[in-house]
Amino acid sequence: MLTQAPVTLYQGGVIRPVYLHGSAVSTTWRDASRSLTDLIFGCVQAALGDAGISAASLGAIVLAAHDLVDGRGLTNMVTAPAAAAYLKDETRLGDDGALAFVLGDARVRSGSADTCLVAAWGRASEGPIDEIAHALFDPFTARPLALTEIAVSGMRAARCLGDYPGYGRWRGGAAARRHDAAARRGHAAAPPGAPPADPSRVPPPAWPLVAGELPVWADMVAAVVLSSQPGPVRVAGVGMSTEPYDLGDRDLTGLTALRAASGQALTAAGVDVAGVEVLELDGLTLFDEALAAEAVGAAPRGEGMSLLANSDRVNPDGGGAAGYCAPAMGLVRIARAAGRLRADRRRDATTTRLALATGASVVAAQVQAAVVLEGA
Amino acid sequence: MGESAGQPVPPLTIDGHWAFDYTYYAGDAASRFFAELARGRIMGSRCPQCQRVLVPARGFCDACFVETTEWVEVSPHGTLETFTILTTSFPGLPEPPLVVGYVMLDGASSAVLNFVDGIDLADPDAAGAALLGRPPVTARFKDVGEGRITDFVFTLDEPA
Repeated sequence: MLTQAPVTLYQGGVIRPVYLHGSAVSTTWRDASRSLTDLIFGCVQAALGDAGISAASLGAIVLAAHDLVDGRGLTNMVTAPAAAAYLKDETRLGDDGALAFVLGDARVRSGSADTCLVAAWGRASEGPIDEIAHALFDPFTARPLALTEIAVSGMRAARCLGDYPGYGRWRGGAAARRHDAAARRGHAAAPPGAPPADPSRVPPPAWPLVAGELPVWADMVAAVVLSSQPGPVRVAGVGMSTEPYDLGDRDLTGLTALRAASGQALTAAGVDVAGVEVLELDGLTLFDEALAAEAVGAAPRGEGMSLLANSDRVNPDGGGAAGYCAPAMGLVRIARAAGRLRADRRRDATTTRLALATGASVVAAQVQAAVVLEGA
Repeated sequence: MGESAGQPVPPLTIDGHWAFDYTYYAGDAASRFFAELARGRIMGSRCPQCQRVLVPARGFCDACFVETTEWVEVSPHGTLETFTILTTSFPGLPEPPLVVGYVMLDGASSAVLNFVDGIDLADPDAAGAALLGRPPVTARFKDVGEGRITDFVFTLDEPA
């Protein structure tokens, strides 16, 4: 008979350590010369090359994709081989890539696989992203009321503007910084303040959101290679948490699931967020990114937008302004964080930095995952 | 011997369209909630563990993972906790711009979503600014209820 065991926090490294050996992110838009499987194949190949291993070396595959986003039922059936899953132990999640990463970490940490590829994708150019988002909400209480992911972000933003003067004061500066960072990466949709060059890349706003605060839709693929063998980045801690399905039962600006998930990851890593130099935080809009900064403890309540306006600590490559498509974004954030840690080590081998990366599910970020990485 | 690649061809794209009809089962709790809504009553269910009154009424409490069997009528008056002004149009739904928001009704522990009617949206920024202060609202019901969430809308107790 099962007993009611006391709840204990997951302690990273108790079983086997997990290292991130390679990563890749692909950001494109409407490249008709490449199919979805071409995009996935290319990114996974790049991640394997970055790790210096072949597909044959992989012990397990964990994939994150969404049938509605892909417009293909049982999407992973057609895309799994492109992600090196042929004759492999493959697990499929219809959820964010960061959650897939947590599962991949568990596979390696538990000893059920020595190496694991985690991949996630979403091709925004193939389908009506806003309408797809609408379809994910409750058919009885939300869809008849035109709710979308952007609409929920709009409500979060309105609450922030009403409660915290800093959000109104700093939103312009934060948007400009975010845009400039994305432009340096070559993915900004248009110059700041100008209509997007391709208006289909930016969703219609929900007041009070304006164009510069919205995601820039892109065709995104991310892939990382995990192993129990020592590598350049160590997975120091992970966490996951889930909020109620009904949005009326949530603290929309408190992001309680992210608060819990990041707390778990930081506790497992034995660090405080103050000691984490790199923050790659998933958020659909600028306001979501600012609230995420507060939820992980990087800014006091009400000051997340100020942090984004005045510091490069959060999403230094532009966050959602550098390309966005669920359910890839959590793994994109993890890959970016790992890339930054490795770049720092190449510049200074004595540097040991920490990164916190997060990923949110659909239905207004109901599920959140957080990962602490350490440059090893 | 294989053929050479030959002349490049233009990339092919094809259109796709999914059109599926679903039948969603509301279940006992939601069916009763909507039946009461058609009679002009907004019902919540009280969790026996945390004592929260969850609106719309539902069969179980997410947080406590227990069944909720006590039904409680909540007030049609409440506070507009947050909102947004939508500009996206969807087939079968009212034409934008629309105000949709979450209201904490008196007696409830969770907020309920609905349209907020009667607001002049000629200047969305002015309209939005006026709504930021959590104004009091009241649910206004249709003359003939259909048993749907759209049986009522919220209206401001005082003009914005």
